[in-house]
Amino acid sequence: MNLVTFQAGLTLAILVILGFSGAWRAGAQTKKNTHATPAQTLTDPMKNLGSPSAPITLEVYSDYECPTCREFYERTLRALIVDYVASGKVYLVHRDFPLPGHRFSMDAARWATAAARIGRFQEVDAALYDNQKAWAADGSVEKYVEGALSPADFKRVQKQVDGCLTQTVASVKPASLSTKPQVAHNCAVDTYIQQDMALGKQVPVQGTPTYIIYYKGQKMAPTSGFVTWAILKQFFDSLLSQ
Amino acid sequence: MTTEARGNLGRVLLMVGRLALAAIFLFAAYAKLKPPVSTMHWSAASVNSSLSMFAMQVDSYQLLPPAAVSPVAHLLPPFELVLGLWLVSGVALRFSSLLTTLLLGGFFAVMVRTYALGLEINCGCFGPGEQLGTKTLLRDGSLLALSLAVTIGAFLIRKRRGHAAPSEASPAIQHGD
Repeated sequence: MNLVTFQAGLTLAILVILGFSGAWRAGAQTKKNTHATPAQTLTDPMKNLGSPSAPITLEVYSDYECPTCREFYERTLRALIVDYVASGKVYLVHRDFPLPGHRFSMDAARWATAAARIGRFQEVDAALYDNQKAWAADGSVEKYVEGALSPADFKRVQKQVDGCLTQTVASVKPASLSTKPQVAHNCAVDTYIQQDMALGKQVPVQGTPTYIIYYKGQKMAPTSGFVTWAILKQFFDSLLSQ
Repeated sequence: MTTEARGNLGRVLLMVGRLALAAIFLFAAYAKLKPPVSTMHWSAASVNSSLSMFAMQVDSYQLLPPAAVSPVAHLLPPFELVLGLWLVSGVALRFSSLLTTLLLGGFFAVMVRTYALGLEINCGCFGPGEQLGTKTLLRDGSLLALSLAVTIGAFLIRKRRGHAAPSEASPAIQHGD
């Protein structure tokens, strides 16, 4: 065997090893995520925007108190909703993933989920992100939800979260700082949040925002962190032009 | 061990290190260029989609200005491919390995900065889906160390040969330097 053949063989062997490790990783990830499309597992369709038959689905796991999630909403998702969700190109799926250590994110998720159940998710979702800094400082989530809804709708939402909230403005004291999102028992909205979190753990979500893109039902690898609308749009355009 | 045997061992180790780096770069380029979904076939359009997807990972590092993200993301994987092939060829190894070390050093510095900032993003090193963390930092740090060792080895062997070799294109240098 001459040197050139030996070198080519060695390079090929290393490539095969790397290829196998990559395939194994991808295979393991696929096994972990048995749901083929997000539509198959949804129990709360009101937290989704757009048409389920859109060629692209964007499934976003987010935490209402996470600053990067707010940036992602304000600078990327808002434009996406106007430009691509409204035109039927993208179906946007919201998943709640309140992180440990964020005092009010679980309560914010409860308000958003309760609003979703009466078809007012979009308004409350926007209000929570728009005013994140304010309510994250003092826990006044309710105030901003009330501002986003009509009095009648607010009453309907309030009725659903009544008894669910673990932290109200009056009860929040430094000593009550929780390290894990507190889940109230016998609370209907928590069921939806728990399901989102269970799905997130399967991904696995390691930080927020984490998003998964589906193209014509085919799932791509999850991506984390902030991405600007211009770059996300470029990717979606490349998919839509296939 | 004789001086000659030590020299041969050094050359073999250098070759193995060079080919390992080459394979890693070729694999990294392939992982970024392959179609983003399994049902999509290889085409110019699929490569464009893959590079646009890679741009999302480059963007998430929040390091480059928006106008630079897409050009960098579209140039980097082809550059990795060329660098991998250059390392396989063994031609002018001192320069290819030096370029590899500089590139890996740059990647490593960016990753350390991102990790220190606490950004929870994907590494993007070998395609999508891999979270940046201590494991990826250790792996890329090891690759940087390997690349540095190959670069030093390539320069040392060249120095030992002095100016005896007439040109970079001689067969011995092509496959052993």
